Amino acid sequence: MVISGVVLYSYTRWLLNNEIEEELYSNKDRVEHLLETSPEIIGVAPIMMAEKAAATEANILIDTLIYDPLQDEVELFRQLSGTKIINGQNYKITVRAMVIEADAILYGIVFTFMTIIFLGFIFLYFFNEKRNQKLWKPFFVNLGRVKLFSIKSDKTLKLMQSDILEFHELNQEMESLTNKIQVDYRNLKQFTEDVSHEMQTPLAIMQAKIETVINESDINENQFERFSSLQEDIQRLKQLNKKLILLAKIDNDQFTATEVISINSILKQSIENFEELSDVCLEMTENAVFNVRMDRTLAMVLCNNLLSNAIKHTIGLQPVEIIINKNSIQIINNGTTGLDRPEQLFNRFYKESKKPDSTGLGLSIVKKVCDYYNFNPSYLFRESEQQHVFQVDFNLKANV
Amino acid sequence: MKYLIAEDEVVLQQSIATYLSQDANICETASDYNEAAEKLEMYEYDIVILDINLVTGNGLELLKKLKKQHKKCGVIIISANSSLDNKLEGLDLGADDYITKPFHLAELNSRIKAVLRRGQFGGNDSITFQEIRLDTLARSAYVNEKPITLTRKEYDLLLFFITNQGRVLSKAIIAEHLWGDNSDLLDNFDFIYVHINNLRKKLTIEGAKYIQTAYGSGYKFIAD
Repeated sequence: MVISGVVLYSYTRWLLNNEIEEELYSNKDRVEHLLETSPEIIGVAPIMMAEKAAATEANILIDTLIYDPLQDEVELFRQLSGTKIINGQNYKITVRAMVIEADAILYGIVFTFMTIIFLGFIFLYFFNEKRNQKLWKPFFVNLGRVKLFSIKSDKTLKLMQSDILEFHELNQEMESLTNKIQVDYRNLKQFTEDVSHEMQTPLAIMQAKIETVINESDINENQFERFSSLQEDIQRLKQLNKKLILLAKIDNDQFTATEVISINSILKQSIENFEELSDVCLEMTENAVFNVRMDRTLAMVLCNNLLSNAIKHTIGLQPVEIIINKNSIQIINNGTTGLDRPEQLFNRFYKESKKPDSTGLGLSIVKKVCDYYNFNPSYLFRESEQQHVFQVDFNLKANV
Repeated sequence: MKYLIAEDEVVLQQSIATYLSQDANICETASDYNEAAEKLEMYEYDIVILDINLVTGNGLELLKKLKKQHKKCGVIIISANSSLDNKLEGLDLGADDYITKPFHLAELNSRIKAVLRRGQFGGNDSITFQEIRLDTLARSAYVNEKPITLTRKEYDLLLFFITNQGRVLSKAIIAEHLWGDNSDLLDNFDFIYVHINNLRKKLTIEGAKYIQTAYGSGYKFIAD
């Protein structure tokens, strides 16, 4: 643009100069002709002037600045002067023409260019926008669909077809990729479930064998001790299995029996259960009464897991506090220090304590149930009171 | 009593048969669908223990057949699938109970006895062991016809003991029977000592000392 501007400027200048010089020469000729017929003419100052001169001069072209009283400014003129002998008299003839100023030319060019660019820009802008909209429409529609896509859903990703080769290829790749991911995800889920179910039969056989053996009279106390510890190990595997199946079931949306449930009564029930199972004192404070819409089994699972976690980790037999607030519950147990990595607390198989016989799934089930119903579980350690506080916020506004 | 055990895992099938025949019951076994169908066609049983996933067919089909023929036998389904749908389907088809693998043989036995007690299959509402009598409808216990006060868990425990008399029961078995799913909420079974000791004390006062410690940490309910 700049180069073409410079070229155009020089070319225009050169052209204008040529034109002016040509005009000057022809004007000079015209004056000479006039002088032939009327020798007294003196011309029109400052453009054409004729005066008698003594010496002869050759034609000279120069630029000169002359004050123009009409416009009240100094203007640049191009001047041609030369002498000519007409009818025996030597005349000095000077013709001038106003030169278009360089900045004027420059302004003109710049202005024109700007106008062209501006108009071109506006035109191209709307043109492109229109075209792009049409061109990119399938892309954005598909982008929206990809955003809404969930690997958990049974629906495959259906993309809008496009004539554009690249988009078409992208669509194909995306579709096959998402299909594969979905299939893999389903397989993985299925795998967990299948493994859990397939494990049940061998476990049943092991258990039955042990029971058969301990009922045969020829074993001793030591052997019985080992068998019953084997039974407890099988018990742990059963628990693990049951929990994995529960997680898989939540993933598979198999808890659909939603009903309005009183958290207060579920917690009371849960506390009653635990009072039979443990010597830890459970102290409930009801600051509020509230209902939640959820599956009864899952509500029970949620409360049981929170309580069992607190009972397992409370120090000695110090009481566990259960507080029901306006739309949240808090389960509080004693502890000496906060957890090292609380952000991992709700992960599968994360164990902070070194208790060998916990499955590490209890709190991840809590998290899963909470996620399923948009509840908000959280953990904090109260340094001053040496307490672990687990809170579940039930988001009642969204729930009921 | 005559039982048919339709289970394709032979080891499990044999263990069940051994356990159940201790009470002088007759246990027949079937290892696949056809064998089970044949035996059900030809003989009468008091209780059928039916695995849903038999190698050559679905146990539920057998159940349907059985109910069509209006045979008077109790059916207990055993299945590796713990999903509620399967359970409901089984019970809807007329099964008397549904037990998920893995289970304790003592638990299976107590379920069988419960089914038998429900009248229809030749049982009655009262269980007697020496001088102890349990009324399963009223859920009350008597020693020499003198009522004794038991908590819910103690009554269940006593019933479980009498049902599985003469067998060694470990803590894990007892805990799972009494608390079912809740038994695994805590990591140890110490809590059952309390209940067993209380029951033992109450029975001992009346002179019924049948709860014996077996091998140090197990229990056995047995007549002297």
